[in-house]
Amino acid sequence: MRFFRLYKTFVIQHIKKLMEYRVDFLTGAMSFFINQVTNIVFIGIIFSQIPKLQGYLFYEIIFIYGFSLIPKGLDHLFTDNLWKVAWFVVRKGDFDRYLTRPISPLMHVIMETIQFDALGEFIMGVILVVTASVKLSLSYTPVSLCLMMIAMVFGALIFTAIKIIGAAIAFWIKQSGSILQIFYCMSDFARYPATIYSSGVRNIITYVIPFAFTAYYPCSYILRGNGPLFCIGGVVAAAVVLLAVSLVVWSQGLSAYESAGS
Amino acid sequence: MRKFFRIYQSFTKAGVENAMAYRTSFLCFALGESLYCFVMYFIWKAIFLSSGDSSFLGFSMTDMTVYVFLSNLVGFLISTDSTDNLAEEIHDGSIIMRMIKPVNIDYSILAFELGNKVMVITCIFLPVMVGVEIYRYVTLGYVAFQLGNFLLFVVSVIFSYLLSFYLNLIFGYLAFFLLNIWGFSILKSSIINFFSGALIPLAFFPGAVRLVFEQLPFASLVYVPTMIYMGKYTGEELAFALGKQIFWLLAFVGISRFIWSLAQKRLAVQGG
Repeated sequence: MRFFRLYKTFVIQHIKKLMEYRVDFLTGAMSFFINQVTNIVFIGIIFSQIPKLQGYLFYEIIFIYGFSLIPKGLDHLFTDNLWKVAWFVVRKGDFDRYLTRPISPLMHVIMETIQFDALGEFIMGVILVVTASVKLSLSYTPVSLCLMMIAMVFGALIFTAIKIIGAAIAFWIKQSGSILQIFYCMSDFARYPATIYSSGVRNIITYVIPFAFTAYYPCSYILRGNGPLFCIGGVVAAAVVLLAVSLVVWSQGLSAYESAGS
Repeated sequence: MRKFFRIYQSFTKAGVENAMAYRTSFLCFALGESLYCFVMYFIWKAIFLSSGDSSFLGFSMTDMTVYVFLSNLVGFLISTDSTDNLAEEIHDGSIIMRMIKPVNIDYSILAFELGNKVMVITCIFLPVMVGVEIYRYVTLGYVAFQLGNFLLFVVSVIFSYLLSFYLNLIFGYLAFFLLNIWGFSILKSSIINFFSGALIPLAFFPGAVRLVFEQLPFASLVYVPTMIYMGKYTGEELAFALGKQIFWLLAFVGISRFIWSLAQKRLAVQGG
């Protein structure tokens, strides 16, 4: 309860900031939009030459692509501050501040930022998924809709867990932004069907850094009717396991943390 | 001339030291950014498998792989921090330290960045280029590397880098007039990404669109040097492409000098 009350205060501060930096928000959102258009044009050019990509139609690829933006956007919206911990909060010794507050440092770090730009990612993802669903005339049941939502939320948690681990590494080595960047960039592999990759890559994005569960597997349940136990259950399992690991790593990191600076 | 080198040499030295200090972080960052090349490689593989054709709009699978990795390399070679660095110096007032020294502002930043490029060339460019050439040899069965094309590529990349540098400098100078240029800086990168051919070779766009895109300054940044390396340009086309690079470079240098002369009058440094 106290958590939500605090969070509300933070959100209000953020909305004020957003109003102050309107132009930044708009240009940021616009550049994000251009990036998405670039990728969609690319997919369009591919399909102007071939009818199917490894058995996938244009709108099926768009569906997976759009779906991948939703968990990514959700996580981006709420936990962007972890990047700052990885890049410079620990290095500059500013992390001490979180240790002096009466709430869990991790909660505080996460609450402190709401990245409204991420709404662009999220909304774009929803638009693409809805458009593709209509064009493919997909039929949803209440159950499949529910499972899809669950997959989106737990998919976002996969991102969050990986970011917590990446940020926590900074407690030992002071700056882990570039390491986190490597992990995070692996999510680019999730935008397309996992079947196009070699088995080595596929196994890595399924079992090691399970980004394939943030888009491809849940989509294959909806598009191809593949077993929900693996396709949706896998998302939940991967998220829970990773989140548990990330919390352990974070608390280990906290106890290893030595303040930097003078 | 000797005095010129003596003055700017110290900036380059500082640049090398700076690059060495942050090398691990930089190389990890570069590795992360390059992962996307592998995604693209697999997509192209899937495309060629699905189409059953050996050519996609005039590009073979080998061509596409070379294009993906090389355009990424060109991206690293021409990347510059001048927008952000300059904007920061303008905001915190430390730009005055550049202005009171008897040095040219563009050259002093350029000389500093040259130090960073030494590392990019030795740690990223050369190893990946060798990798690309080995790949080409294995898939084609003969040595496709041509010294002539490579030398032209080097010339073209230098133009690209200078072009990118002055384009970014112009954006940096905007900090004199705008409160916060962070948003514009991001917007600029996505525009460049799209129009420079970093993701999609401009040759894939339909006729009229392609013609327009190829004339824009962005095409000179990534697309032109990559195509030259691959030997896709010959004769007149080649001369025209290099000519366009020079034209845009001169134009951008002119614009940046003009803005700088306006901006100097507006500079107000607070505190001290």
